[in-house]
Amino acid sequence: MIKNYLKIAIRNLWKNRTFTALNILGLTAAFGVAILLGMYAVFQLSYDRFHENGENIFMVYSEDSVPDGVEANISKSEPFAAALKEETTGVEKITRYVGAGVLLNHKDKQLRMSGVYVDPDFFDMFSFPIIEGDKQNPITSETSVALTKHAAQRIFGDKNAIGQTISILRDEEMVPFTVTAIVENFPETSSMGFDVVLNFKSQGYHSYERAIGRWDVENHEVYMQLAQNVSPQQFEKSTKDFTQLHYKNEIDNAIRDGIQPNSNGDYRQIKLLPLTDIRFANFNQGPVIVSRTMPYLVLGIAILILFIACVNFVNMSIAKSDQRLREIGMRKTLGANHKQLFFQFWGESILVFLISTGLGILLAVLLLPQFQVLFSTRASLSALLEPSWLVILIVSFIGVTLIAGGYPAILMSRLGTLQSLKGKLEINGKNHLRNSLMVLQFSIAILLISGTLVLWDQVEFMRTKDLGFNKNQVIAFPLNGARNDQQALQLLRDDLQNNVNVLSVTASNNILGLGKDGSRSTSVLGFEYKGRGVETHMLVVDADYIETLDLTLVEGRSFRENLASDSLSVIINEAMAKQLNEEDVLASQIDLDDAVYSVVGVVKNFNFQELDQHIAPMSLFALPNWNLRNVYVKVAPQNLEQAYTDVKAAWNRIEPNAEFQGSFLNENIDRTLRSERTMTTMIGSGSILAIILSCIGLFAMSLLIVAQRRKEIGVRKIVGASVSSITVLLTKDFLKLVIIAFVVATPIAWWAMHQWLQNYPYRINLNIWIFLGAGGIAIVIAMLTIASKTIKAATSNPVDSLRAE
Amino acid sequence: MIQITDLEKFYKTEEVQTIALNKLSFNVKEGEFVAIMGPSGCGKSTLLNILGLLDDPDGGSFMFNGTEVAGYNERKRSELRKHNIGFVFQSFNLIDELTVFENVELPLIYTGVKPVERKKQVEAVLEKMQIMHRRNHFPQQLSGGQQQRVAVARAVVNNPKLILADEPTGNLDSTNGNEVMDLLIDLNEAGTTIIMVTHSEHDAKYSHRIIRMLDGQKVTENILA
Repeated sequence: MIKNYLKIAIRNLWKNRTFTALNILGLTAAFGVAILLGMYAVFQLSYDRFHENGENIFMVYSEDSVPDGVEANISKSEPFAAALKEETTGVEKITRYVGAGVLLNHKDKQLRMSGVYVDPDFFDMFSFPIIEGDKQNPITSETSVALTKHAAQRIFGDKNAIGQTISILRDEEMVPFTVTAIVENFPETSSMGFDVVLNFKSQGYHSYERAIGRWDVENHEVYMQLAQNVSPQQFEKSTKDFTQLHYKNEIDNAIRDGIQPNSNGDYRQIKLLPLTDIRFANFNQGPVIVSRTMPYLVLGIAILILFIACVNFVNMSIAKSDQRLREIGMRKTLGANHKQLFFQFWGESILVFLISTGLGILLAVLLLPQFQVLFSTRASLSALLEPSWLVILIVSFIGVTLIAGGYPAILMSRLGTLQSLKGKLEINGKNHLRNSLMVLQFSIAILLISGTLVLWDQVEFMRTKDLGFNKNQVIAFPLNGARNDQQALQLLRDDLQNNVNVLSVTASNNILGLGKDGSRSTSVLGFEYKGRGVETHMLVVDADYIETLDLTLVEGRSFRENLASDSLSVIINEAMAKQLNEEDVLASQIDLDDAVYSVVGVVKNFNFQELDQHIAPMSLFALPNWNLRNVYVKVAPQNLEQAYTDVKAAWNRIEPNAEFQGSFLNENIDRTLRSERTMTTMIGSGSILAIILSCIGLFAMSLLIVAQRRKEIGVRKIVGASVSSITVLLTKDFLKLVIIAFVVATPIAWWAMHQWLQNYPYRINLNIWIFLGAGGIAIVIAMLTIASKTIKAATSNPVDSLRAE
Repeated sequence: MIQITDLEKFYKTEEVQTIALNKLSFNVKEGEFVAIMGPSGCGKSTLLNILGLLDDPDGGSFMFNGTEVAGYNERKRSELRKHNIGFVFQSFNLIDELTVFENVELPLIYTGVKPVERKKQVEAVLEKMQIMHRRNHFPQQLSGGQQQRVAVARAVVNNPKLILADEPTGNLDSTNGNEVMDLLIDLNEAGTTIIMVTHSEHDAKYSHRIIRMLDGQKVTENILA
């Protein structure tokens, strides 16, 4: 029996080659893309899940009440971790954690690597297995260092690294460290990334020694492992006394300033963020918001694409069923029952699905490298080979086959024997279903096209927005060499002094946008101002900063060329001036612990943070001998490429061993839009595929419907219908479906995009033309798809069609 | 073998009710060859469908081998049909995607006959119908006469007690038509009961008895042999 089914299935598929090819083509594309998108989503959702103790590891942060609600603060002070372990119950293990680039020497090799400074509990908490060396206490000593296998290979090649000495630049000195352990390379799904692990106490003076015992210097993160018998909520509640003891001043100041406490009456609440949530957490919008929207959105697109391809399959199968009525009738006459017929037709579907899945997997494998580049992901198909995901995949396959293949099979197997033998079908009900499914397909396509257009518009808006500084002519790069910052900067200035392409050189301790080295940092300063607490972002700059970046001075003056004479001056932005709320802001003074700074100028607000944040108060200081980590070089607009090459060459002369990681600020801004770009590409690709698949379905339907209406077309022509009226007649029904889809999809698209845009204080206005454009694109593509078939039918000789009847 | 009494069948549309069979009664004995004739729309095909258990009557009685089958559900009808009745249609109704052998084999598959036995039975009937040499051909590669031979082969492969033939020569030229009629006569002589619907007086003369119908009723009955 099965052999008979298989035989007839293959022969039927071959007989209807056009439809089989359209189905397999659509399903293969859908399966291939769904596999890639699924892989991407699974990869994202798998982040940090490889740690054995992962369920009990949390990042410790606090929610501080501020004038406009609460603010999440993940930076902690030097004594915080030890005190928390000592004074509260439930902390099983705890580690401070700060990442930093390190410059490392071994013999004549100089390498810049990414390092982390942690406490000894780190290796007990996280699953970063030590494969060589001291497995118990690898970094207990302040002179010991653990390297990843990959880093050890880069430094020592195949030689044994354990016991070897390397030097690491610290406070302008090369300090020797002994390699005590080699750490296994960790999975791609680790959000912690490092080459070198050092003891927290091995940091430089400013980061560690200066901060010892101080609760007001918060410069690192803290991770803890919670005891098994304590819930995160219980622990958070139990920290009330700890907070009141150590943050008394901050709490008193908040009460004094009239800030509202949270619902528990607290002004500062210690909270725990699960390790696996960290990658999806946004700390910039007040309270921590954990959102897995992106991976779920990607999964959603995968499901929608599969749905569209399956709808094609269902529609084609049902539409083709009238060509098999006599077969169904005859089989029933000869004794076939429902079950036998169902399995026969379902078997045919399984065959198509199996072929498509196989080809889909092949397509996914072939497209994987391009996919990885396009979406800047390291996700690989192995992500899907985890047993749990494999089971989900197989169950999904069976589910899809059962529904998409089973539904037409049920319909066909339930047809009446006589009705089938006569070759007549009651088709109204089927048409409703077919039309509804086609409307749904085009709704999805229009939804995705609208989404792509809105996303693209918003990204362009953010990319081209005037951010208040010159992003087109300024090259920024990190001072990543062995020389001290001031010295390196001076050498660079001297080197570029006579270069006509270079207009000015400056530096600051923070970067604008996201640098090529991927680094980004910000310093927030809190102080008392006339009896109230004030917070500002702090930027330490070198001479010519305002001029180099073309910031606009709205009041007062810039820093002098002789920077030392301005060491007690501060220039603030408009947001800070508003916060100080002075009639004559240039007469105000900021009293910090170490000195009093006079406001000498106000610059126009500029977007020093990403565009999903409002411009916060900012103060620019000209502090001597401060670590200025980034150089900014303004170059002449006529010859940007040559200027870039000149700056690079100059830096290579000054720091021959350091990599030049320069990029124009507009590239830095582009990098901050990476997630938006990925989302646009993802939804854009999804919408292209959705419209192609929907049109494959539409094309197949037009083929079948034109065939079914052949006689009608012939009769109409004989009684005088024109080619255009027949074309309109055939096109009208499809056009109606696409228009209904547009009406269905537009409000949903408008609502979804409106919600998404709320994430951005700087956003485009939703415009009806975007949606009309999306609908227009869908309609034009749909009409072009069916044009050839309808026009051909309309121009055919009516005698032929009537003779065929 | 067949006793129908006051058999009724109506077709309803939204506005009109058409009477297809109007209290029709007659009997068919085992081994008989009966031809049913009448103009288009007189209810011949409806009658054949009911006799073939493809359709249900709306009234009256239908006894098949002494059992009342008028109220049978689809499952029971199917059971009875596949073991007792063979069909021959005007349009052959062969399945295009199956070869001659596979088409003839189909009823045996549905009655659960083992593959070895199936092969033997199919080959025997193909030999008998003289189309063994065409066993691997597809229907569209055969002439009309050959296709109807295959259809007859498929109808008899299960050794049914009754063969229902609906205009078996309607799509054939006279030579091929006569050949098919000869086949039916052979089967009848071997003991198979045959009920044939036809417009052809020539074909009807092959039967033992002609029942003529009009407007769903029997008008005359002529015994030929």
